[in-house]
Amino acid sequence: MALKQVSSSKSFGGFQKVFEHDSVELKCKMKFAVYLPPKAESAKCPVLYFLSGLTCTEQNFITKSGFQQAASEHGLIVIAPDTSPRGCNIKGEDDSWDFGTGAGFYVDATEDPWKTNYRMYFYVTEELPQLVNANFPVDPQRTSIFGHSMGGHGALICTLKNPGKYKAYDATHLVKSYTGSQLDILIDQGKADEFYDQLLPENFIAAYTEKKIPVVFRLQEGYDHGYYFIATFIADHIRHHAKYLNA
Amino acid sequence: MEEDAGEEPGLGRCTAPTDFHFYHMDLYDSDSRLQVLPEESTGVRREAVQAERTYEPRGAREGQAHRALHEEADELVHLYGLEDDHELGDEIMDEDTPRLGTAEYPPYGVKRGDPAWEQRDWRLGGEAAEAEDLGFGGWGSRGQCQDLREAYRYTHGRASEEYECYVIPEEEDEEEAADVFCVTCKIPVRAVENLDAHKEHEVTPLNQALESAKDEIHKNMYKLEKQIIDMENFASHLEEVFITVEENFGRQEQNFESHYNEILETLAQKYEEKIQALGQKKKEKLEALYEQLVSCGENLDTCKELMETIEEMCHEEKVDFLKDAVAMADRLGQFLKTKTDVEISAQPDFEEQTLDFSDVEELMGSINSIPAPSAPVINPQAPNSATGSSVRVCWSLYSDDTVESYQLSYRPVGDGSPGKDQAEFTVTVKETYCSVKNLMPNTQYEFWVTAQNRAGSSPSSERAVYMTAPSPPIIKSKEIRSCEEAALICWESGSLNPVDSYTVELTQAEAPQAWGVTESIVGIPTCEALVQLQPRQNYTIYVRALNVGGPSARSEPATVHTTGSYFHLNKDTCHPWLTISEDGFTVMRSERKTPMREPLASNTRFTRCVAVLGNLIPVRGRHYWEVEVDECLDYTIGVAFEEVPRHEDLGANRLSWCLRHTFASSRHKYEFLHNKTSPDTRITVPPRRIGVLLDYANSRLSFFNVDISQHLHSFSCELHRLVHPCFSLEKPGCLKIRNGIPMPKHVTFY
Repeated sequence: MALKQVSSSKSFGGFQKVFEHDSVELKCKMKFAVYLPPKAESAKCPVLYFLSGLTCTEQNFITKSGFQQAASEHGLIVIAPDTSPRGCNIKGEDDSWDFGTGAGFYVDATEDPWKTNYRMYFYVTEELPQLVNANFPVDPQRTSIFGHSMGGHGALICTLKNPGKYKAYDATHLVKSYTGSQLDILIDQGKADEFYDQLLPENFIAAYTEKKIPVVFRLQEGYDHGYYFIATFIADHIRHHAKYLNA
Repeated sequence: MEEDAGEEPGLGRCTAPTDFHFYHMDLYDSDSRLQVLPEESTGVRREAVQAERTYEPRGAREGQAHRALHEEADELVHLYGLEDDHELGDEIMDEDTPRLGTAEYPPYGVKRGDPAWEQRDWRLGGEAAEAEDLGFGGWGSRGQCQDLREAYRYTHGRASEEYECYVIPEEEDEEEAADVFCVTCKIPVRAVENLDAHKEHEVTPLNQALESAKDEIHKNMYKLEKQIIDMENFASHLEEVFITVEENFGRQEQNFESHYNEILETLAQKYEEKIQALGQKKKEKLEALYEQLVSCGENLDTCKELMETIEEMCHEEKVDFLKDAVAMADRLGQFLKTKTDVEISAQPDFEEQTLDFSDVEELMGSINSIPAPSAPVINPQAPNSATGSSVRVCWSLYSDDTVESYQLSYRPVGDGSPGKDQAEFTVTVKETYCSVKNLMPNTQYEFWVTAQNRAGSSPSSERAVYMTAPSPPIIKSKEIRSCEEAALICWESGSLNPVDSYTVELTQAEAPQAWGVTESIVGIPTCEALVQLQPRQNYTIYVRALNVGGPSARSEPATVHTTGSYFHLNKDTCHPWLTISEDGFTVMRSERKTPMREPLASNTRFTRCVAVLGNLIPVRGRHYWEVEVDECLDYTIGVAFEEVPRHEDLGANRLSWCLRHTFASSRHKYEFLHNKTSPDTRITVPPRRIGVLLDYANSRLSFFNVDISQHLHSFSCELHRLVHPCFSLEKPGCLKIRNGIPMPKHVTFY
């Protein structure tokens, strides 16, 4: 599959690039962002996938979170895909902000008219990694995944459904049936998050406690849901992943 | 040699003869050998000798002559090769001494047919003839030998102008060259003559005879050389003895002089005393006599007076006479009654004076014996010559006195403790040093020494103070604190009195004994040291104490592992309800049946929080330790400043940061407390083993679940001063501290 570089900017000694390609799974043009640290020039690097939340594209994370510094320091390639297929012209896809465009939820749709294009789970776990492995100096054995909001949910799903695929994992809620290998999950939750009640962290914690899945869940006083919150703690999260990816 | 001595008594033959030449023996083997003895040079030398003689004053000339004679003698010996040089010398002197008066010494063989020379030659021949001891026995008459030698020289064709005509006319006439040798007659003869005169004698060819004669002569030369060496040695030895005699004489002289002076002084003193005594006696006698005289005079006066009165009375009228007579009669009676002492009070004779010379006799007697020695000089203590229980005392004797033994005395230098008199010890030794043992460590002792011989004991030397080295310190092993870069060692002095300093020695324990490098830190004033070390090594540490006497023996070793950080708990801070195990790493709070009494306020011990502080090494690096806890345990662990208030809970103030776990209603609650605040963090898997990382450089304190390599929390803390680990138990239970653990990899990310 041919990749077309859309943009490239030097950042913290590495490069923040955006590529576009024709997705077979999603049957449309998809963009994704790649950050290549300085280390990538000479060696294969571990790769970290970031799944963005509702209404985001591949741009929000790379422009607002300020993750490049930590990624550069730890020598990680960070891939940030889009949140849903674009321009598929499916009826109703733009009706609500939390369903359809920009709200792929990282699942494979099972119903029409969505099921042709809305296959974000497969895209994130199969197609995109293959593309990335073929085109960038990544070490496919060392992969990790995290995300924000809907992306956090997406990361957890991917992890729980693919035990052993990801070295370090972030929040999910579907852990009850998880029987896979050891997880180590770090979750930051803004206490002033307007969506707090929707997110139901207590249930989450209870479920993980019961399953004895190691989670450190940090309730951060005063922080909301947005990218300022992400930017504050992104370094901790990248370090959390680097601990396993660079071990 | 005897002749020499006789001839020249004044020339001081004490010194050894100036040179002994090597006597070149192979004179007659070949032409070339003969050439070795060039007459020219000899002639030059003789002339030089002559010149010397000419220019020097007479007195010196004699000496000069003597030396020149030696040279000449040597030359002759070279030429003739065989005679005892002294004999030659004698001969020359005999010849020359009467000649010294004359201006010139006749030159050797310069002039043709010089009669003097010829004369001498004969004489020499004569002398040679007398030299029986050289075993000459192969030749005929001496004169003939001489002639023959001469003949041989010249038949070999010396081209010297000078000697062309140096031929002894008579010999030539008498003989022709002989070619055989008659052993019987011991003369060389012509073969022809053999027929008649020597026909029954044993004959050998001349050459053979020559050889054998030369051998004989060689042997004799060796003997002579050896004798020369022996004589030389003997002469130098005599010289030494000579000098020693002078020295000994000097000493004896001094000795006697002082003795005799003493005796004379004593005698003089005695004389004075006696004379004085006599004088005194005389005075006394005279005084007594004088007194007598005076009283006699008085008596006389009184008598005369009476007499006059009586006479006057006699001229008076009868009546007055009678009156006075009675009174006079009384007076007279009285007077005459008083006895006049007409005994002479002092006899003119003086008593026999007994002269007591016993002490003089003693002195006289002691002349013969050696004096008692003079006082030795005791040396100051050599550095590092002492051990903890012994010192090596040395002294010297700066005189040549005879000493048979030394007595070394010593006693400890007390610091004025009253009552107990310090015991004095004495050792008798034959050397000028002594290792005195069984002493107390780190103590000063006073030493003094006397020398003894038959005559008695010398005065005592000055007193010197020596000090034993201290006893080794004792490292407080249980209180060693360390981290990856350093260790803090403390110890007990091991000595009652202060020492000068301490030395810490460390070796890496892995290196084999033979080539392990020992590093030392010296001049440590107090009983503790912070030592820089390499990370992840094992060290063995010793301490020594040092004073003027030297270093103590090594202390018992202590080992330090620079892996992770190592600290012990500070028992002084321990809340009374907490107990610390024997090994110092388990902290327990026990169940108590009776209600517990709140302890009194204290500055060191925790009173509110049932806590204890650790003693972390004061190094601002990275420290890591682990704590093992029970899931249900209520505990608080973290770090705190030394001055954290003891009456508050850990984490309730700005001086402490900690993780607190509370287990209630089957729920685990984790708080990360500082200044009473904690973030809201939920942990789904309760840690059993908590890793604590204190990072001064990054101002961070982090906690980990070691079993799952999970990072729990990090504090950013301003650590201007040093902090210590702190632990508390809110409910009965125990926690166990683990030290000396290297930082796990996952921790290094933080």
